Amino acid sequence: MSFRGRGRGRDRVRQAKPVPFELFPEIEGLGKTENSSANIQLIKLSSNLQKYWNSSPFFYEDRSELVEKVQKIDIERYSERNPQSTEAKPPLWHFIKLDTDHVPAELASRGEKNEKHVVKRVRWSPESDSKKMDLFEKLDQMYQGQERMEKKENENEEEDDVENEDDEGEFSDEGDYEHPQYVDDDEDDYNMADDQHELKYY
Amino acid sequence: MVTPHGIQLAAYLISSSYGDLCSKVCECLLRRGTLTLAHVIRYTELTRENVINCLRVLIHQNCVQAFAIQQEGAYGVAPRIVTQYMPLFDNIIHKLRAPKFMQIVSEELGNDCLEIFQALIQHGRLSINQIIDRNKQTADSSNVDVVRESFNKLLNSRFVERCPAPEPFLPPPSEDEPTTKKRGAKSKIAEVPKTTEQLALSAAAPMESMRFLMEMDDHSEERIEESSNSTTPGVKRKRDDLTSEEDMLDVNEKKEVLWRVNFEEFVRRLRHKACISYVKSRINDEAGIVLSAVLELNKFSETRQKAENSGYLSINAIYDEVIKKDGGLGMDFERVRLSLEQLGCQTIENGIDESYSIDLKGIIEMAQNEEVESVIMKRYGREAYRIFRLLSKTGRVLETDKISDTAFVEKNDTLKILFKLWKDNYLHMEKVGVGKLTFLMWRINKEPLSVHVLDEMYHAVLNLRLRITHEQDQGKEILSFPREKLVGELGKKYKLLGKVRVILESSLMNLDEAIMLFHDF
Repeated sequence: MSFRGRGRGRDRVRQAKPVPFELFPEIEGLGKTENSSANIQLIKLSSNLQKYWNSSPFFYEDRSELVEKVQKIDIERYSERNPQSTEAKPPLWHFIKLDTDHVPAELASRGEKNEKHVVKRVRWSPESDSKKMDLFEKLDQMYQGQERMEKKENENEEEDDVENEDDEGEFSDEGDYEHPQYVDDDEDDYNMADDQHELKYY
Repeated sequence: MVTPHGIQLAAYLISSSYGDLCSKVCECLLRRGTLTLAHVIRYTELTRENVINCLRVLIHQNCVQAFAIQQEGAYGVAPRIVTQYMPLFDNIIHKLRAPKFMQIVSEELGNDCLEIFQALIQHGRLSINQIIDRNKQTADSSNVDVVRESFNKLLNSRFVERCPAPEPFLPPPSEDEPTTKKRGAKSKIAEVPKTTEQLALSAAAPMESMRFLMEMDDHSEERIEESSNSTTPGVKRKRDDLTSEEDMLDVNEKKEVLWRVNFEEFVRRLRHKACISYVKSRINDEAGIVLSAVLELNKFSETRQKAENSGYLSINAIYDEVIKKDGGLGMDFERVRLSLEQLGCQTIENGIDESYSIDLKGIIEMAQNEEVESVIMKRYGREAYRIFRLLSKTGRVLETDKISDTAFVEKNDTLKILFKLWKDNYLHMEKVGVGKLTFLMWRINKEPLSVHVLDEMYHAVLNLRLRITHEQDQGKEILSFPREKLVGELGKKYKLLGKVRVILESSLMNLDEAIMLFHDF
């Protein structure tokens, strides 16, 4: 194929200019943003809902794919405790009744192992996630001023302590996240902000 | 019939809430229609276990309905019963508006009910025991009575209903004909036979009498005894129901009733809200008050989802209700009558009583027309707007010259505009040849136009959602910083992120109102 390369040989075919791909091209004639009305309550509700669904067992992922999915965006650390975060989701049958009264016959679970399980504690709210501040909660707190922020941090730290006792083997490094003084002993400055995400889910 | 962008939007909503696998299954069902499990496995090329779990999640979240149907066997083989799955497109799109529903509940019933309602939205279906259990964990209060009371409030306002049957059996058509005719007589469009999917939905739905009825569980039987002293007819009926239920079922296997959000009720409320606000902006405030009074009176007698007319109400009843509303106190009979006439209603005068019925469908259609006209104005300009209005007011075909004369537009411009509109599917064109001349006749077809506009709106919503996620992804780095470090440059960027998100999401909610106008109202 003599069309490859830039004009090598005697081909007169014009090479296609690589046009940068615009994901969201500009549109003329859109109105100004001042015209739109803001409805903060709706937005908060919607983002809470999304947060819940992303971390719930309803967000179904293939069991075999889960193991491969543990890729982190940053460099893997020695100190990272991965396996627990992937097993943090309770299984589906905690929430969905899989008997024939509630689900079509061919989807119902026939194994007795599920029925024998007495669900000691169904985790209704992903408590570890509720402490992750969403954009709005952060914004809210920024606007509410310093004293409120400090008060909330103190409360959160207390709740974190209580929850860290309660939860069975659940890993949460909220203590670091909430603590105003970021104690960073070992790593270099470039990676300072990396410790605060276990489950990225925006 | 679902539009192409509608399918894309639905698939995107499922994938952002329940993962890619569920979205694949859902998209397969939406594109190919009702399928059996084997077909779904084949078309999606996923493993059996994955498909089964995805279907479980989708059914639990009210996005898919299963039903059993008798399939004719091949020659010599006995007919067998297969389970088919149908997607519920409306319910999937309702996920977009869940925050609006939650807002309605919180405004009307308060925070306790909102807590329960939020659980139902998150989980799709819950039994009362699960609700109580969850409340213990999240709200830290183990007050069962409060939970039950809030749940009953939700039931009474009809925000919550019983879940449909998981797998109703549809008997083969030959036996079913007399019953469909009976059902047909109740609805206005009695001639259109119901499709399999519609039959499945009506077979699955709980009986109207049971739909909002809650029976007491075992451990609250003492409460029935206690309240038996103050027997109201409702309680007595419940006890009878309870005993008859026990007769039907084995005492050991008590079916646990699951409850879910009653979308119909919310759509109805939003519809009323939209009608009232349209009337307020179009006519005046008083007409809005009168309309809201009429709709309030009509609330529990509205049986069909898209009621075209309100029921006939006497002027006295309307007047009583109007006085109760804010701003309605100063109105007297004459002004009420005047507003009713402005609203455009049918009246029956039989002797003393005058009864009025308001044409809701007309109001909705007017609102839809206004919406489309404003889009045309924005996109194609004022002259196109005039031409479009002309065509929509006269219901019939018009020829190019006639249009250009009546709308006071130059002939060439008229032609250009008409072709542009036709290319974008807003108009219908016919060529008529008379001798040597050919005339172009133009017309608006309301139905295809609505479908087209709806499709464009779904496309817009999809784009908005994608943009929101995109902006959030761009800002991921900034969001990962702890609060204290967000000062100066970073702080500005952070605030900008917040602003952008607020604007995009608000536009989404506003656009959603327009979608409901065309699809659900």
